[in-house]
Order: sequence, then structure tokens, then C-alpha cells
Amino acid sequence: MEGNTFTGAARYTGSRVHRVEDARLLTGRGTFVDDIVRPGMLHACFVRSPFARARIDGIDADEARALPGVRAVLTAADLHPDVHEPWYSTAGKDIPDNPRPPLAEGEARFVGDPVALVIAETRALAEDAADLVLVDFDPLDAVADYTTAAESGALVHEGFEANVAGQLRGRGRRDVDEVFASAAHVVEEVIHQQAYAAVPMETRGLVVEWSGEDLTIWSATQAPHEVRAFASRLLGLPEHHIRVIMRDTGGGFGQKVVPLREDMCLMLAARKVRAPIKWIEDRRENLMAAGQARHEHATAAMAFDDDGTILAARIDHVQDVGAYPTPWPVGTAAAVGMLFPGPYRMDKASWSTVSVFSNTAGRTAYRGPWMYETTAREVLLDIAARRIGIDPVELRRRNMLSADELPYSNPNGMPYSDMSPREVFEQALGIVDYDGFRREQAQARTEGRYLGIGTSSYVEPTTTAMAPYGTEGATIRIEPSGTVNVYLGGGSTGNSLETAAVQLAADALGVDIADVATIQGDTAITPFGGGTGGSRSGSMIAGAVTETAAGLRERIVQIAAGLLEAAPEDIELAESRASVRGTPSKAVTLREIADVAYFKPHALPPGVPAGLEASGRYAARSPMIWANATHVCTCEVDVETGLVRILRYVVSEDCGPMINPNVVEGQIAGGTVQGIGGALLEHLSYDEDGNPTATTFLDYLLPTIADVPDLEYGHIETPGPGAGGYKGVGEGGAIGAPAAVVNAVADALAPFGADITRLPIGPADVVRIVEAAS
Amino acid sequence: MKPAPFEYHAPVALDEAVGLLGELGDGAKVLAGGQSLIPMLALRLAFFDHLVDLGRIPDLQRVERVDGSLRVGAAVRQSAVEHSAEVAAAVPLLARATPLIGHFQIRNRGTVGGSIAHADPAAEYPAVALTLDAVMEVASPRGSRDVPAADFFTGTWTTDLADDEVLAGVRFPTWEGRCGFAVEELARRHGDFAIAGATVAVELGADDTIRRCAIGLFGLGPVPERGTAAEQSLVGASAGDVEPKALGKQAVADLSSIPDDAHGPAEYRRHVGGVMVARAWQRAVEEARHA
Amino acid sequence: MHETEVHVHVNGADRRMRVEPRTTLADALREELHLTGTHLGCEHGVCGACTVLVDGDAVRACLVLAVQAEGAEVTTIEGLTPDDGTLSPVQEAFRANHGLQCGFCTPGFVVSVTALLRDNPDPTDDEIREGLSGNLCRCTGYQGIMAAVRQAAGR
Repeated sequence: MEGNTFTGAARYTGSRVHRVEDARLLTGRGTFVDDIVRPGMLHACFVRSPFARARIDGIDADEARALPGVRAVLTAADLHPDVHEPWYSTAGKDIPDNPRPPLAEGEARFVGDPVALVIAETRALAEDAADLVLVDFDPLDAVADYTTAAESGALVHEGFEANVAGQLRGRGRRDVDEVFASAAHVVEEVIHQQAYAAVPMETRGLVVEWSGEDLTIWSATQAPHEVRAFASRLLGLPEHHIRVIMRDTGGGFGQKVVPLREDMCLMLAARKVRAPIKWIEDRRENLMAAGQARHEHATAAMAFDDDGTILAARIDHVQDVGAYPTPWPVGTAAAVGMLFPGPYRMDKASWSTVSVFSNTAGRTAYRGPWMYETTAREVLLDIAARRIGIDPVELRRRNMLSADELPYSNPNGMPYSDMSPREVFEQALGIVDYDGFRREQAQARTEGRYLGIGTSSYVEPTTTAMAPYGTEGATIRIEPSGTVNVYLGGGSTGNSLETAAVQLAADALGVDIADVATIQGDTAITPFGGGTGGSRSGSMIAGAVTETAAGLRERIVQIAAGLLEAAPEDIELAESRASVRGTPSKAVTLREIADVAYFKPHALPPGVPAGLEASGRYAARSPMIWANATHVCTCEVDVETGLVRILRYVVSEDCGPMINPNVVEGQIAGGTVQGIGGALLEHLSYDEDGNPTATTFLDYLLPTIADVPDLEYGHIETPGPGAGGYKGVGEGGAIGAPAAVVNAVADALAPFGADITRLPIGPADVVRIVEAAS
Repeated sequence: MKPAPFEYHAPVALDEAVGLLGELGDGAKVLAGGQSLIPMLALRLAFFDHLVDLGRIPDLQRVERVDGSLRVGAAVRQSAVEHSAEVAAAVPLLARATPLIGHFQIRNRGTVGGSIAHADPAAEYPAVALTLDAVMEVASPRGSRDVPAADFFTGTWTTDLADDEVLAGVRFPTWEGRCGFAVEELARRHGDFAIAGATVAVELGADDTIRRCAIGLFGLGPVPERGTAAEQSLVGASAGDVEPKALGKQAVADLSSIPDDAHGPAEYRRHVGGVMVARAWQRAVEEARHA
Repeated sequence: MHETEVHVHVNGADRRMRVEPRTTLADALREELHLTGTHLGCEHGVCGACTVLVDGDAVRACLVLAVQAEGAEVTTIEGLTPDDGTLSPVQEAFRANHGLQCGFCTPGFVVSVTALLRDNPDPTDDEIREGLSGNLCRCTGYQGIMAAVRQAAGR
């Protein structure tokens, strides 16, 4: 198993295999966390702050506790003494983290901040009781706007001066400034991205059950082993006394990658209340308290020479991290600066980033958390093109890296390799017929119609190998009857990891796909895994399965060779049978081989152990695996009403070879539509007092099926250094889409002269641009 | 998000419903389709001790012709209106407004009376009622009374109904002759609440003169409005002389309480309202010319 | 405030449920009858994940009180699934076209699509998009769903 090739014939890998998850999910037989029922189970509900910032002078829960059916009302005083070490594996123990108390203690720091935990016989009763809890709030001036937080005078967290959670900067600023000072063209803009969020269709939730010795947690999560590790540290309870189970989880996109404060409260409450407890977040809570993302702005600039060649890039980035960012957000923000040069050739770049607290929901991870670098860069490039007087595609052609220039270190030290930036760009433009569209656009303008086209190109570090993501384990058991079970840590929240595992294992063992099943996401049963996140699972699961399968394959071949009286190198495995090459009638089934392995060990060849079970662990071969894509969007803008209609949307992407093209395209589609939402519709908005104004689906607008066209895909397969050459694809759609849409709208409105530097673009914003021009 | 507790009553006759409301006082609320009320209860934005469900009263589910009007029982489902050939023929404006209401799952439960009594400023049916000068039939322990649409909508989510009154039905006048009807609304996504909308009815003479017209506006104030000044300037004019965009601007020029929020600043709503009037006018006239 | 007994015909069987008046049909189906295929995505009638059929009509089960369903015929995703272990044509079309990822919105979509195609067996793309604009999905970008509905409509 050296190199990038499988030892097995790729019969299933690479093809559009139908999903094994679908049978249960299509028939309503999935097991989501709200489907879990435990004997004597109680239900939890949080009392939450209605103020963005307020002192908590007292909590009177007498009336609430007296309500029939109410079992407990727990406050910080009840839960916090049991807190040991609440830190996250990805961030580590020693980072300069902000406080993150399970419940608000002494001060509420955002509207929705959990203040007390009510536990009752039903959720409805718990909500009734929550309404009876009297919290003595003394409202304070809130830091509602991160852009003025430094001057606010109020501190979100004591000890964090000017409300700065942290800052980082790259080198070379002086050199870059010198280049800017003498460049033929400098284009600089402040680009604002709004707060929006992952909004999975299933909200957060968990069930906790304490047995007196062991804690069992059913969780809606992307990483069951991180839930276990975190619970162990939080509670001071050894890991082997904790079991975390996830079966079906309804979307995560980063929001479920680590336990958040409410999860902490339930873990702490488990040993205090003598019954299993279920907490299912409702949608209003999810929009208020599960965290925000994407809220940031930067002064972004590029210097060009006369003919549009990029000389240098500079970005000074500021992001809103809310009151309780989780986990520590400062490190990820560095990626914004370091990736700002994107897929373009340039000698110099500099960056800085500042993370600022505000009295709003904390920043949590969301699909490509650093994606602002693509929004800022690609929007800036179109603005530059219009100002310099070059077609935006031509400007990119002059500067975009092509595959034969790689490996290439960008000026911030990012080591690009195994990508095809210029190639996907050209492929996407070919699919959309760029020149044809420009002709169509010109014709439409003569008819008073406004069409536009926008592109967006990015590079993405997937499958990063930092702890706890650097390894992935698998256990494969060929059962006595010859069928196969593949055990993986999992973490799929829709990522089709069961199907991927089954495809990969079937090929690695030469087994019919109908003979393979997978068990994932139970820490008592499945090997340690990092979960889903950072677009890692395709590569890491491929590695885990193929490494583990290789040893088993060896044993199968040996046993078959013995049974068939042939040389091992002449044995072929396919469709759950081992046969002699050239003589297909000389064959034995995997069932017969397993029968020998388990029940006739005396008949095994010398040196071959009994049984057919193996565990293995794959270690990532490189610190990251690069993937890239180009998005192209065309639109028509109704300049009377401001409504934008997307006409065509093309994504040409390079995630290397594909385990399952359906899954790849599905991931791109989902992320892309989230990005379209981010460009046009979604806004987790707050008023000037820090009150959230989008707390239901009536105000937080998700894209519907009527808002998006059929997506068109192009694929280029540049293998990466990981197992199978597979690269990550989960996050890319959400990274590339917003800029493509913004650029398309700006292009449509080019006759009206204004640039768009603030997202989202609503119809009122479009009309304002049109009216300002006349 | 579970509602606070309440008692539930399902009378089978109108007088029983009305009697219950009288008895239960202002802690009681009428439940029709529930598509507006139940979310408010779930969000605990509203609290009632009693819900009186009108859904099992046969008298409220009829659609029938009555002297130049179509009388629609308050509990008639929006989906029934949507698929009714009778409504399409008698009150095209009501039929055409219906597919704009939310989504089909909502319309399978939502009712005509419920939408009108809920009086959401961005709702279509109140505007249709106002545009056609519909008459609301109101029942109470004191008997029944008729309320013209112009007097029925008194504020955001507020109507002329007293706490112990039930909207039992609505009589929509039918228009005869060379008529055209159109509804245009601007929503961020299909089925969303309108940011601004217009309902237009026009009757043309044989010579293309405007014999009669009505322009309704919704989403542009706490209650639906009629563009009365614009209407008056149109009657007697030749349809060919009307410039739709100018008409639109005129219809919205004097509105003074346009909502202003994240979905639409006031000036944007006014502007779009004018565009909706223009587009609805054009379509209605086009239809009337071919009638 | 007190519980009451509701009789509903669910998926072809007469069922009794003890519910409070405030209990929604969605919660009653899930908690009393353990038909957990109907999912709660928002509880305020926007996302469509809770769609079921009541007397043949697709409705948001979170916006129907269980007591309002007294005597009604209710069909959930479980009831649309054939008894013999196969999938219905709509379910099969979703499977064949990668029409689901996490599966949380899927029962609502399957019920809604089943109702739409029953009433309009040959919809245009615009009719499909308009008809399903009240069902939200966050995973698929709706691509596999469009393909599934086209296939189920015989295209």
C-alpha cells in the first residue's frame, strides 16, 4: 500500500454508488438525537438572558421549582463547582482563551445567554417553569457593534483590553507598503461580510444518562470522540467511563464540531439529577445562541503594474467573535491573511488580523471558517478590473497560477501543491461559454435588461493533520459467514461516510458491496477518530480502510492459496471470491475462507493467524492537502424591484479522484447554496442595543429550491499526497459562492457605476445603487 | 418551542361558538386554520386560556352566490379557494391572490376568514377584500352585523371585531362586463410575506375608457389601503392614456405609515409598491381588453 | 390544561393518543405513537420537515393541534413506505438521485412530493420549484431533490 493506488480493483470507488444510509432515512427510520427515548427520561430547557449585557444580581426559582412536574432548576452555583478542565483538543490547553462558563455567572453577555437550566417531565412543562424563573437583571450598556468595540468603554470580558480577543500578523509589511507606494495601480476597499450561520436543519441536542459509574451521551455531533474527550476533561471523569453515541445527525457544517456551553451544562447536570436528561435546542435558540460566523471586514488592497500584473496584496482583517467564541477563534483568523493571495502569482503580501469581542452570540465554526479571504479577494479583483479597464477574466488570466507552476509557496508561506487553479478556471469558463455570455449581456442591455457574470476562484487547505485530526483508525471484521463490518469513528452529519466506507472496503477486499456494512460513531465500539471537519474525512477514511484492509487481504490470499493449491501471487479477489488467475473455475468464496479462519485453524497455512479481524490506523502523510475550484455565476437583476435571479451556476473543482461523484457534487451543491444564501438572503442581524432581530425562519431567510438553478459541474482530478489521492471537498462550495454571486450582481449593475462592498445584497440595496446613478 | 397551556373547544354550530366566546371572555381566542395563531403560541408571543376552534362548523365552510356577491364562509380553506372554478369565475381577484399565500401546505389549513380576521398588514386577502369593497358578516351574542371592508381593518393585526365576535363569512362583490384583475407582490422568496403588493380590478367600456377601477395596496402600512386618489383620476380616462409607472408612483405618493425594517426600508417599499401597481395595472387592463 | 384522548386513524390503523390541548400533531405522533420519522426543524411552520398528510392534504404537523386531528386520517412518512421492504416510487427516486444527505428534511420532502405529484403528475420545473419552496434543505442545495422529483414524475 505504498503510493496512491489501491491494492484492489476499483469497482465501486469512483462510481455513483447509491447510498446505504438512504433506506432508513427515506422511510423515517433514522435515529436522530430527539428520537432517543430512555426510561424515566426528563427534559431540559434553558432560561436565557433577554439583555445583551446585564449584571445578574439574583435568581429566584422557587415558583418554578414548585410547578408540578419540575424536577430541578440549576444555576451556575449548582453546576460550576464541578467544572474541571473545559478545553478543546483542537485548540489545546494553553491558548489564551476567553472565559467560557457553562451558565452565565454574575453577568449575561448576549441575548440568549443561558442563565439557568430547568429540568422537568416534559419540554412543555420545562418551558412553563422557565417562564416562572425570576432573574434579577441589571441591564448594562452593551458592546453591540464589534467595529466600535475598542472605543466602547464597556468590556465584554474583564482583562481583555479594548475587547480584543487576540491578534496576529504576518511579516513583510514594510516591503509591501513600498511596492504599493510605487505601483501603477492600487485598488483598496473595505469589504464587509455580514454575520450568518450554519443553520443545520436539525438543531443541537443531546441526551445524558449517568449510571452511577458511567456516563452515556447521545449527541448530535460531528465528532463523538471529541465529545467524549471534552466531557472527560470537563467532569474529571476518566475517558473509559464515558460512552458517546451518534447515529444520525441532521447537518453540522461546523456548528456541531465541538460541544458548546449548553452541552457542558447537560454533562454537568447528568450526575446531579437521578434520571436521563434530554435537551433539544429549538430553532429560536439555535439562531440566538448556537453561534454566528462570517462577521468580519477588512481593508483589502492589491497593487498592480500597468498591465494588471499583481505585485503585492495586503489585508488588515477584523472579525467579530461575539461573547463566547468556541473554540478559540484567533488561530483560524490567521488563515484569512495567509490565504488572501489565493490562486494568484505574486511576490509580496502582508496581513494582520484582530479578533474582537461583542455582546452577541459567540463565533463558532462554519464551513470554511476563513472563507472571507476569498470573498474579499475575488470582489476586490473585479473592482480592480473595472477600475483599471481590463475584463475581470482577463485580469485573472494574467495572474492565475497553473498546475505546472506548482509546487509554489505563496508570499505568506502557504505551500501550494497538487492543484490546478488556471485549469479549473478555464474549464468553468468553457462550460458557461464566457464569450457567449458577454454577447448575450450586451444584447440584453440594449433591451433594458441587466445580466451579469461573476467568477470566484480559491485554494483550500483540506485534511489538515493537526491534532486530533492527524490519524484515523478503522477496524474491519470479516464475520464467520464471510460478510464484512467496517468500524470507524465516523462523525457524518450527512457526509455519506457510511457509503464511502462501504465502497472503499469492498474494493480493498475484493468483496461484493452488498456484503459490506459499516458501524460508526460509538466510542465504545468504534476506533478513535477525529470526526468530520476541515474536509478531512474522505482522505482519512480512505487511508484507515485501505491500511487496515491490506493486512486482511494478505491473510485472505494466503488462506485461499492454501485451499486452491496455488501460489499467493496468482490469487485474485473479486465479488467476495478468491480465484486463481487464468482459471476462474478454481475459486473459493470468502465465506469458505472465513469458515477455515474461524473454525478450522489447524487447516490454516503456517504463520497465518486464526480469525479475520484487524485494526489499523492511518497517519496523514502531509500537513494539509490542497484542493481548488472556480465558481461562475450568471444572473439577471430586475432594476425596478432589486430582485436577483440566478440564471446559471457552474463549479469546476479539483478534489482529486472522487470516491463517489454523487457525494462530491452533493457536497459542492450544499455548500454553494449556503454561499448563495450568504450573498443574497441570510443575515443574523442585531440592532444597536445588541438585540437579535433574526430569531425565526420568518426573518432569517434560507435559500429555497426556487432560489437556485440546476448547478453545473466540471471536475479535474489532480491527486493529492494522501491515500488514494483523495482531497477534501466538503467546505469548498461555501468558500467560493458568495463572491461569485456578488461579482455577478456588480457586473450586471456596472452601467450604474457603483461597487458592491457589503454583503448581503438585498433588493433594497440594488435599488439604492440604481437610483443613486440617476 | 411549546405553547403555554390552554383549553380547547370545538363547537359544531356558529351560535355555540359565539356563546362560548361570550362566556369565556377575553382570555379566549378563535382558532381557524391556525397557520398564524399556532406559531405565535409556540413562540409564546401570545397567551390564551381558551381556543375556540371554528373548524367543525359546517355553516362556515360554504361558498355560495348571494345577490351579486360570492359569499365565502370564514372557515373555507385557502386551498379550496385556490382550486375552485366557482371562485375563479366569480371573484378572480380572490382566486389569483391565493397562490401567493405562503406555500401549499399552509393553504391546506389556512382559511379565508382567518387571514382576514388576523389582518396582517402584508396579507393578500385583506387587500382583496378592501379592493372589492367586500362586506364582513360578523356574529356575536348580540346577533349579527355587516361591516364594510373599509371599516373593518383598524390597525396592525387589529380589526373592528370585539372579543366576543366571530367573522362568519365575507361577501365579495362580483364584477360584470369587460373586467381585468391582477395581483402583484414583491417578496424576497416565493411565499414570503409581501414587502409591498397591489391588487387591481378594472372594468373597461367598449371604447377602452375606464368605467370603474379599484387599486389596493398591502405591505405599505398597518392596514391595506386603497389608492383612492389614483382611482378617481382614472375613471373616465382612456386606458391607453394611462402610463403605468406614473400611475404607480401616484398610488403610493401619499402613504404616510410605511413600515421600515430589515426586510424593506420605507422608501424602498414605497418605490416597489409603485412598481407593483404599475405591473398589476398593466396585466389587469390587458385582460380587460380581451374580455 | 388537562389531558384528553384523541382518536386518529394513523397510517391505516386506529390509534388513541393522550394529549394536552396544546400538544401539536407533530409532537403527538413522535411522543405518543413513536412515529419519529416526522421531524421538528423549526416548530413555527416554515421549514416543512414536519409535513404529514391529514385527510390526504399535505400540512405542517407543527401547526396542527393534535386535538384538531380527532377523527382524521393521518399519513406519515412511515405510512408512505410500502410494507414489503421496498421503497415507494418517490422514495426510490430520491435514492437514485442523491436527493438526501443528512436526511432530516427528507420525510417532509417525500410527503410533500408525494402529495404534489398525486395532484399534478406532470409538473413543469417551475411548478416543482414553486410547490417545494416551502420545504427547506441545508445539505443538498436541492440539486438531487429536483432530479428525484423529475424522475418520480416520469421524466
